[in-house]
Amino acid sequence: MMSTVSAEKAWDELTLSEAEYRRAGARYRQRRSLRAYLFLLPYFIPFIAFLLVPALWSIWLSFNRGGILDPAKYVGLENWRSIASDTELTGAIQNTAVYAVEAILLVFTLAIVLALLLNRYRKGSNIFKLALYVPLLAPAVLVGLIWQFLTNFDFGFINLALDAMGFDRLNILGSGRLALLTIVLAEVWRGLGFWTLYFLASLQNVPEELLDAARVDGARGVQRFRRVTIPLLRPMLLFAVVIAIIANFQVFDTVYVLTQGGPYESTSTMVWFIWKRLFQFQETGQGYAAAVVLLAIILALTAISFRVLGARRKRRA
Amino acid sequence: MAVQAGGVAESDVLSQHAQEYASAARRHRAFGITKGLAAYATLSIFALIAIVPFLYLLSPSFRKSYELFSYPPKWIPSSLYTGNFGTILHQTSYPRWALNTLIFATSVTVITLIIDTLAGYAFARLRFPGRGVLFGLVLGTLMIPTAVLIAPLYIMISRLPGWTHSGINTYPGMILPMVCSPLGVFMMRQFISTLPEALVEAARLDGGSEWLIFRKIVLPLMKPAIVVLGIFTFMAQWVNFLWPLIITTTNDMKTLTVGVSSLQGQFVTNWGVISAAAVMTMAPVIVIFLMFQRWFVQASMAGALKQ
Repeated sequence: MMSTVSAEKAWDELTLSEAEYRRAGARYRQRRSLRAYLFLLPYFIPFIAFLLVPALWSIWLSFNRGGILDPAKYVGLENWRSIASDTELTGAIQNTAVYAVEAILLVFTLAIVLALLLNRYRKGSNIFKLALYVPLLAPAVLVGLIWQFLTNFDFGFINLALDAMGFDRLNILGSGRLALLTIVLAEVWRGLGFWTLYFLASLQNVPEELLDAARVDGARGVQRFRRVTIPLLRPMLLFAVVIAIIANFQVFDTVYVLTQGGPYESTSTMVWFIWKRLFQFQETGQGYAAAVVLLAIILALTAISFRVLGARRKRRA
Repeated sequence: MAVQAGGVAESDVLSQHAQEYASAARRHRAFGITKGLAAYATLSIFALIAIVPFLYLLSPSFRKSYELFSYPPKWIPSSLYTGNFGTILHQTSYPRWALNTLIFATSVTVITLIIDTLAGYAFARLRFPGRGVLFGLVLGTLMIPTAVLIAPLYIMISRLPGWTHSGINTYPGMILPMVCSPLGVFMMRQFISTLPEALVEAARLDGGSEWLIFRKIVLPLMKPAIVVLGIFTFMAQWVNFLWPLIITTTNDMKTLTVGVSSLQGQFVTNWGVISAAAVMTMAPVIVIFLMFQRWFVQASMAGALKQ
């Protein structure tokens, strides 16, 4: 009897009371979180300083002017009023939209076709993958240069070919519609390898058993693609669309090298407009406001993509 | 007799079936071969479209500029003229631009690898309050276009109140704002999540500190992810144009992308010199690419595979 009591006492001394236990646990968790924050700190310092703060600052700047050469000055809604009636900005938004739709549709169509071919015909596919990848290594400046060569009036391949076939030569970069189309083609040429490899990787993630099951059930090639592959690829497609929208709405480098926004602003894109207002015209206020417009457009388009492409997946789950 | 006749008739029917089957199979095979040929032809055409324009730069770089305008066009130069390369090396700051690019892209890559690996590990394996919120924040910033950031970043680097020096035309000013790409953290977290958790748990039970576990167990397993993210980051900075364009104003601080594009103003229609610069810029990258092709291809597939 006595011994059990003393044993219980000893046990009590050894174990922690509930409060003590809770305190020790809290201390442990605190130290554990602290350590996690230490792992995060090196990333979050530049993340806050160079991404989060500038992003919020850009919204504040849209109510300011100056800033590049002299300190920024608050001007209220003046920038917004001035860009609301700016036909050059609406033109730039329109050019960017036309460019982005054409470029994304073209590059996705070609990339999906090529990815399907590479997925089906694997013998020797490595050499094609490498060849398609090469344009990705070139900075846009070189891409622009190559396309200037291709479209040059006197010695460009396209004009020499037109000439040889008995057509008139075209001043390609000198006419608005063709100049924008050249930018589309240059960017599609550069991006095709990336998207082909992206869709190829996605296709190879589709479990072979599901396709076999569909084959046994009598589904033909097109049906298998539509009913099995595409639904399974929906999240990949969503990611691709979002990334492509974000990237293509920021087209700038090829514009800078190929056309400088011309002729007559017909290839002026949003980032070209922003850059010119900020660093060429010293119309910084308009540049700040246009940057916020670009942010809003990208956020809206991303949200729409999620709704359209993400919805069906949710319903099924 | 009748039985035999029946047998003959039956085997006739059978052989007729067999013939039909064989010809159907032949047709099917022929169709398959045609399809295969069409597929390989399509792939070859696009492979050529990807490659040939680069070769198209090669020819003018070895010719005097006026030769470009000869008619009919001569694609193979009659004699190799190397003066364009001399012009680039001696009359422009090309070597300096190459050095700047190397410093810029390498520094961004090294810093990115260190901080993204650490953050990726924390997001994948450590438990702390606010984990979901912070990770969501990082992912959300993927949507912020660079063009939105350039003005505030420029102001910050050039004239932060209290700074005695402007960061314009300095390496830190160029490098630091480029190190916080959200995609890297995302890639690292996804990769570490695929590593067996038991390894980390075992080390934790053995009393290893988080830092020790990270360095001795997680880091060695991450080599492939680090190579892939390294190539990815380096290539992104190698082609980066907008940021170096605005943050450098002196000729000596330009990167290759900005420098080569400025040649177009300097050598207005001297296409020979300009294409020589392009050839010099692309050649080393293509060599490196061919040496490490497997990793390059993986780097661009990483986004898709890690979904």
